[in-house]
Amino acid sequence: MKKHLFPVALVALTSFVWSGCSSGGARRIDAGGRESVTTVGHVDIQDFVAAAEASVGKLLAAGALDKVPNPPAILAVSLVRNQTGQQFDTDLLTKKIRVKLNTSGKALTTTTVGLDGVAEDPLAKQLQGERELEEKKRAGVTPDFTLSGKIIETRARAGDVRQSTFSFQLSLTDKRGLAVWEGEEEITKQGKRPSVGF
Amino acid sequence: MTIRMTQTIAGAALLASVLLSGGCKSTTVNTVENAQPTAKKEMVADKRLITDADLARKVYVVGVNEAKTPGGLIQIQIEVVNQTSSRQRFTYHVQWFDAAGMQLSSTTGAILPCVIEGKETRYLSAVAPHPACKDFRVQFIESSH
Repeated sequence: MKKHLFPVALVALTSFVWSGCSSGGARRIDAGGRESVTTVGHVDIQDFVAAAEASVGKLLAAGALDKVPNPPAILAVSLVRNQTGQQFDTDLLTKKIRVKLNTSGKALTTTTVGLDGVAEDPLAKQLQGERELEEKKRAGVTPDFTLSGKIIETRARAGDVRQSTFSFQLSLTDKRGLAVWEGEEEITKQGKRPSVGF
Repeated sequence: MTIRMTQTIAGAALLASVLLSGGCKSTTVNTVENAQPTAKKEMVADKRLITDADLARKVYVVGVNEAKTPGGLIQIQIEVVNQTSSRQRFTYHVQWFDAAGMQLSSTTGAILPCVIEGKETRYLSAVAPHPACKDFRVQFIESSH
């Protein structure tokens, strides 16, 4: 009986160490919070949150949006390409950036100006057109800046250990066509399997 | 029997601690900088509430430097130093408050991870999400991964 004590104690201790405080049952957690699942090969929600937070912080600190004659700056979101092997909507990044910029009072995003003439809000664009027709003048809002970018993935592997780097590249272009601010946030994740937490 | 049992538990505990510490290699950082810095930091007087003394001992908050962005937003830079010789991981979260003490933008505040090497000093930056932000609070939580 005694000789079985060591393996039993070891198993109990190991399972205690590995299990932590988590349980297998479904429950709600903070989106992008400390309990979020972190994967190696995918962009997780907390990665979008971190990239948006860092990008907006640097953009506001640079003061590029403050250099407009009539603040707040008008921003149009251009193309943000997903160059990763994963399918996701890039609005997961751009919407977070837009919300933060809107909250800061430093920029307003137009929903009637879009790439190839496609408005994000078609009704708003139609109403804007009707108003302009009634007033017989072209008083449409032209953006001070456009925001474009790419999300790029770089993978590496050493034995069982996998590594992924996701680069969130953003450019803020003014009316002259010059990139007045550029930002790049890189998030590198390494591991053998997904885990809970950062 | 009691002695054997104590030895068994002690052995298991030792094995577990070896397993836990196996992945943490000692890596420390050497630095060099100009002896007479030209920058003048505006360090704010801070108030600390320590509930995790272990984390506070390992990752020590040296101070908080405050400045304004060109657009008038408050910008803070928190200087933290890893006082141990091993790599430490933690998350931090900056909360902002207006003049009335109300928390602003709580739904968009991010919990951000940070990895700091042994004896390394790092600077964590944050910009206030709104011109009305007057005060801030930073939470630090030890991370297991």
